[in-house]
Amino acid sequence: MDTTPHKNRIGEAVRRVEDIRFLTGKGRYVDDVKLPNMVYAAMVRSPHAHADVKSIDASAALEIDGVLAVFTGADWKAAGYGPIPTKSAVKTFKDGSPLKEPPHHAMAIDRVRHAGEVVAVVVAETREIAREATEAVEVDYAPLPAVIGIKAALAPDAPQIWDIAPGNLCLDFELGNEEAQKKAFAAADHVVTLEMVNNRVTAVPIEPRGAVASYDKASDSYTLWNASQNIHANRDTIAEACLKIEKSKLHHIAPDVGGGFGAKNGVYPEPILVCHASKLVGRPVKWINDRGESFLSDTHGRDQISTVSLALDKDGTFRALRTETLGELGAYCATVGPFTPTGGSARTQGGPYKFDAIFYTAKAVFTNTALLDPYRGAGRPEASYQMDRIIDYAAANLGMDPQELRRKNLVPRDMLPMKTPMGLDVDSGDFPEVYKRLIAMTDRGGYEKRVKESAAKGLKRGFGVSAYLECTGGGPKEHAVVEFKDNGKVTLAVGSHSTGMGHETSFAQVLAGHLGIGMEDVEFRQADTDATPIGGGHGGSRGMEVGGSAVLQTARAVVAKGKEIAAHLFETSADKIEFEDGSFFEPGTNHTITIRDVIDASNDPDKLPDGLQPGCLNIGTTFERGIISIPNGAHAGEVEVDPETGVVKLVSYWVVDDFGTIVNPLLADGQVMGGVAQGVGQALMEEIVYDENGQLLTGSLMDYAMPRADDIPTMHLAFYEGAPTAKNLLGVKGAGEAGCVGAPPVVVNAVCDALKEYGVKHIDMPLTPEKVWRAIRAAGA
Amino acid sequence: MPAIKVRVNGRETAADVDERTLLATFIREQLEMTGTHVGCDTSQCGSCVVEVDGKTVKSCTMFAWQADGADITTIEGLADGDTLHPMQQAFRDHHGLQCGFCTPGMVMTAVAIAKQNPDPSVEEIRAALEGNICRCTGYQFIVEAVQAGAKAMRG
Repeated sequence: MDTTPHKNRIGEAVRRVEDIRFLTGKGRYVDDVKLPNMVYAAMVRSPHAHADVKSIDASAALEIDGVLAVFTGADWKAAGYGPIPTKSAVKTFKDGSPLKEPPHHAMAIDRVRHAGEVVAVVVAETREIAREATEAVEVDYAPLPAVIGIKAALAPDAPQIWDIAPGNLCLDFELGNEEAQKKAFAAADHVVTLEMVNNRVTAVPIEPRGAVASYDKASDSYTLWNASQNIHANRDTIAEACLKIEKSKLHHIAPDVGGGFGAKNGVYPEPILVCHASKLVGRPVKWINDRGESFLSDTHGRDQISTVSLALDKDGTFRALRTETLGELGAYCATVGPFTPTGGSARTQGGPYKFDAIFYTAKAVFTNTALLDPYRGAGRPEASYQMDRIIDYAAANLGMDPQELRRKNLVPRDMLPMKTPMGLDVDSGDFPEVYKRLIAMTDRGGYEKRVKESAAKGLKRGFGVSAYLECTGGGPKEHAVVEFKDNGKVTLAVGSHSTGMGHETSFAQVLAGHLGIGMEDVEFRQADTDATPIGGGHGGSRGMEVGGSAVLQTARAVVAKGKEIAAHLFETSADKIEFEDGSFFEPGTNHTITIRDVIDASNDPDKLPDGLQPGCLNIGTTFERGIISIPNGAHAGEVEVDPETGVVKLVSYWVVDDFGTIVNPLLADGQVMGGVAQGVGQALMEEIVYDENGQLLTGSLMDYAMPRADDIPTMHLAFYEGAPTAKNLLGVKGAGEAGCVGAPPVVVNAVCDALKEYGVKHIDMPLTPEKVWRAIRAAGA
Repeated sequence: MPAIKVRVNGRETAADVDERTLLATFIREQLEMTGTHVGCDTSQCGSCVVEVDGKTVKSCTMFAWQADGADITTIEGLADGDTLHPMQQAFRDHHGLQCGFCTPGMVMTAVAIAKQNPDPSVEEIRAALEGNICRCTGYQFIVEAVQAGAKAMRG
């Protein structure tokens, strides 16, 4: 990878600063936090999906040597704590009435509604004693019928999970112009309809969730170390809504976080429970989920059933799209929960293709399962899958070429800027060019030869493509503060949050590049409500868009203030000063001064003009984006399918992405590759499965298949950098989620292409050998 | 409680351990070397890989007392002072890590791969990484790092 220096370091493949720590075992994750006198909490989790909690007897647990306390829902209720509220951006039914939000307490009060829900917490001297004691807590349950599966939940005779939510319906939703859609359908030559499942998966960050809470009686305040991606918003919720304290009484810190992908965005029960535990026993309390608990209690993602209809003319021109989605929420509304199947999945409907009309409807449904919340993409992977699957399905049914359908229907460059039928503002991009570049990478000329080579091995080869539209930016505001220290270092504190994306490097790159200082002089701070009092955390691929822009904006403010200092030293006016490559100078004179000297001067009252105080270069600014950015791109892949066994092997993969300006191509590549692997995992193997009683069947890494190194082929990536966006200061469009937006339809399209001779036109994900084998047999029969 | 003696990263240590204490727990909690990570409870993820008497071991699969008398290398023992081990350096050069959680186990496995096969192919590396899960990288840069690290190790 190229390491050539770039102007302002934008576009340079800088190696990561944080890697030294991680590679030498010096990363500090939440389970590495060890406080004096610390004790341990373990959760007693419900084995039932739906049951009344008749009684809890903790006496045997309390007799175990080393057990300090056990508390239950009754204690929780008595303490007067509040439920965890949802922050769903979609808050109302179509008719304007509010969404049905049942109280989501950190532990079950008198009824459990999913397997794994916390019913009691044990606090003990050691982790082992705490775990052992959970077995001694006797809970008397009266099981109730469980509601499992979206369609079952909506059936007229389904048991009701919540009295306030008749029909187990949390929310309904629509977006788009139904009248125009219906008119276009009536006028179109063909309407092709397919029901497709977006399988339930979970993020599985390799670091399980965990937290350490320390209550200080003297100040009546808490410090909470939490494997969280979003400490600011969650601090507010945990403090104000749940613990019912002022937010200043909760110091929230995320140390190094071992991956998140959305599953560590929301407010979870356990960190709140350990805050209470610490107050109860008067000692710091640590809780770390094991992996089995993680499958039960981490939020899950996707889980939608959608009926997608595409209207097109006989020449292949798309006319209109209609998508009707049923999305699962689990037993409660998670932090973002109800938004994902509704607004979250609606926005990018139709992808980068031209439509006269699009209409989207959704129902968000309660079931007796773990909660659903954003997983990398949160609605956009679903929309991309629906769009690019219905294209191939239509092509298969109408005898058309799916790639030609794509090429023909992409929004042409001269239509930009545009507002999509779903209301997204697309300011920049060149979809046909991106698509052309993708196809050019894929060696179509050699394809027939490869098909024959596969056939010689008894394998069927298939080719699949997707063209995606993203929308990124997450929370709109971000704050970046610099503080120049006496030792020559500069502290950069940013309120967004890297859980592996590399902000410690890329943000320092933006700052150091703009100021012309060394990256080794930048000390990065994040995810600590004391060090970074304002922030929007992680989510929606927002890091570089809003966090990076905040860094650049702050750097520009430093330069502006530095010009005042330089002007004072040169005895001239600031408007005559220019700044380049780390030096302030006055053109046409020999006046020049390095930024290092200006920084030194900024702390010396004798060198400052009137009106500037020592420390005047220590500046924080808040950047606020306008409308969200629209990354786009196209993916392609080839698979080999063994028709005898149903085994699918993804053998080639290509991607072209338009992320606007690329700040660090190495890190951007890493984001795409990781996202693609997650998308491939969803398409080929990953699935959360509950049985009809609500028992989780995929409760370990022995049962929940994840991609390993030999499941993923070498990927070939390219960036289209011809269309930076004006929506932020860097011209970037979020890169974090696009990989798993584009990948699932590629895999399924390629497999269906490989199996077309058998008449297989669709298989729902994941494409496990059994499902592929059965699909071949069913189609042939 | 069994009393054990182990040599960890060149340093002799004697300790009393509970019979049930896993080697991973012993390293993390008693030796306070937290570079060895625990990412699952079924010996699937490989975050806890260490070297025990020259063998690559998932330290969550053996008890601490089973390591009595053993010579153990953890991720903390790879670098030579401030100089990274060639495999650590290769992971950095090739962006073979993101969140860093699987990384210690991944690097320990990578070193073992290179020791057994000084010039591994991409396919051989992918197969040999079967016991280590990474959720961030999509593996490609890890594979490139292992190949480059192996090359650097053979000098």
